[in-house]
Amino acid sequence: MAAVTTTPRQKAGWGTANFVVIALAMIPVLWLASLSFKTPAAVLDPSLIPSQWTLGNYSQILKTSQFIRPLINSIGIGLIATLIAVLFASMAAYAVARLRFPGKGVLIGMSLLIAMFPAIALVTPMFNIERSLGLFNTWPGLIIPYVAFGLPLGIYTLSAFFREIPWELEKAAKVDGATPFQAFTKVIAPLAAPGMVTTAILVFMFCWNEFLFAISFTSTIASRTAPASIAYFSGSSQFTVPTGPIAAAAVVITIPIIIFVVFFQRRIVAGLTSGAVKG
Amino acid sequence: MAVVEGVAAPAPKVRLRPRGVSRREQWQRRLPLLPALIYIIVVTQIPFVVTLWYSFQNYFFDIPGGAHFTGLSNYTTVFTNAAFRASLVRSVVMTASSVIVAMILGMAFALLLDRKFLGRGVVRTLIITPFLVMPAAAALVWAGPMLDPNFGLLNYLLTPFGVHHVAWLSTHALGSVIVVMIWQWTPFMTLIVLAGLQGQPADTLEAAKVDGAGALATFRELTLPHLRPYIELGILLGSIYLVNAFDAVRLMTNGGPGTATTNLPFYLYQQVNYAFDVGGAAAAGVVTVILTIIVATFALRMFARVFQFDEAAG
Repeated sequence: MAAVTTTPRQKAGWGTANFVVIALAMIPVLWLASLSFKTPAAVLDPSLIPSQWTLGNYSQILKTSQFIRPLINSIGIGLIATLIAVLFASMAAYAVARLRFPGKGVLIGMSLLIAMFPAIALVTPMFNIERSLGLFNTWPGLIIPYVAFGLPLGIYTLSAFFREIPWELEKAAKVDGATPFQAFTKVIAPLAAPGMVTTAILVFMFCWNEFLFAISFTSTIASRTAPASIAYFSGSSQFTVPTGPIAAAAVVITIPIIIFVVFFQRRIVAGLTSGAVKG
Repeated sequence: MAVVEGVAAPAPKVRLRPRGVSRREQWQRRLPLLPALIYIIVVTQIPFVVTLWYSFQNYFFDIPGGAHFTGLSNYTTVFTNAAFRASLVRSVVMTASSVIVAMILGMAFALLLDRKFLGRGVVRTLIITPFLVMPAAAALVWAGPMLDPNFGLLNYLLTPFGVHHVAWLSTHALGSVIVVMIWQWTPFMTLIVLAGLQGQPADTLEAAKVDGAGALATFRELTLPHLRPYIELGILLGSIYLVNAFDAVRLMTNGGPGTATTNLPFYLYQQVNYAFDVGGAAAAGVVTVILTIIVATFALRMFARVFQFDEAAG
């Protein structure tokens, strides 16, 4: 976008506006980080910088299997569900982006409809089905529904990326004597990889944050995921909220996502918008 | 689009006129779609059929002896139930107000960020953080350390303005939940709109400037129409997510006080988990699904336009 020439006064105005925006976005986040370093007594103290820094909240949550196990579950369930969803979504997106056949629109429409399907209406039957199949409170019990709800998101973003791939390169490689397998691995796969990574991050974020299925289909830390587990954190009595440990857990849970997104921010936005906007 | 299709067309086996392909080939083309499609249908539609079945049953988790058929009585209850209607209205209010405010703020922030200044990349990354905080964690932090009547940060910050010990979650429950949703979704809207702003051709803007168009006129006549698909996309994606919002309600207010923040998903959850009324919840769920399909059909029209299905459907 063309740079607009600004006077110093305007510049100061924009600077102030920027500062206000950042403050609005960041105060709760900084507050969260600050709380995680405060001692239980200082949690009620409204200063942003802890008067006394402590790692006690972190050591408390990282010592107990009530948080570590759910964290491992979250990572495992998220990765497996993402892998399956991206695999199926890539095949579907390939067909959507590259092939023409009657009824394609209906098929995509149906999968998008699933994305809007109120998951809450499926919880009870899924609960009963999972109980009868022995899937309740197991990893597959969460992986199976996560793949189903991650797929529409995956198909949507991957179709956008795949439409941008210059597929004629594949043909050119074949003309130059490459086998179909070589054409795919040497030419198409490297072009498709960035889109698949971005999609994987989005699907992983969905699984990582999912809460409704996580509290409905688990009963112990054998398969409970991180978002469900922090809802079960309890203080020394029923009425004390363990603010420090919750804040520390929230920081630990959020860091991986922030790292992913800082690295892939531009691509993620491109993935979300290009599908809908490039005409 | 034309370019992309033109690119796809010369590939082997893919002809421009599907009429020319054999039946067998048509099925082969659909083949890569099948795993995803079959998977989605099996995992979501079998439970839905079961929901449909439950909706005609008198089925309580806490009453032994099992379910029995009751015809349409669960549906009669749903349609005459004021609590269901109220939660439906609350869902609409929650979704619409948070999506619209988040979009307006998002546009403002995007315009702000769409200028060259030192540290723009850092600012953009900082602004997106609220969207990355796990919603369940964000809800807990807002409910406690941010909005608590005694030690909450908001009351502390508002003390100079004569605000003391306001129990936000009791007195302004719905507003508080909406504020948290806006806080989480504004960064997302900002990013989407910013992508649109940066895709705006510079020469058109330059031409408008040369022609003497003011900033406001340029925005209204050029920028806004250009941004429209981005705005629609942001509203659509935000609505899809927020209409099903459950974690914020469950963790911040548990639907209360009373039913002040009970939206449709939480109402359905409550019917099963607190009232044990599986049949009634199933009927309410079926009605919710039908309403969703109606709304989604409108949304899909938009998708159809941007994805250009008509061309693909050939």
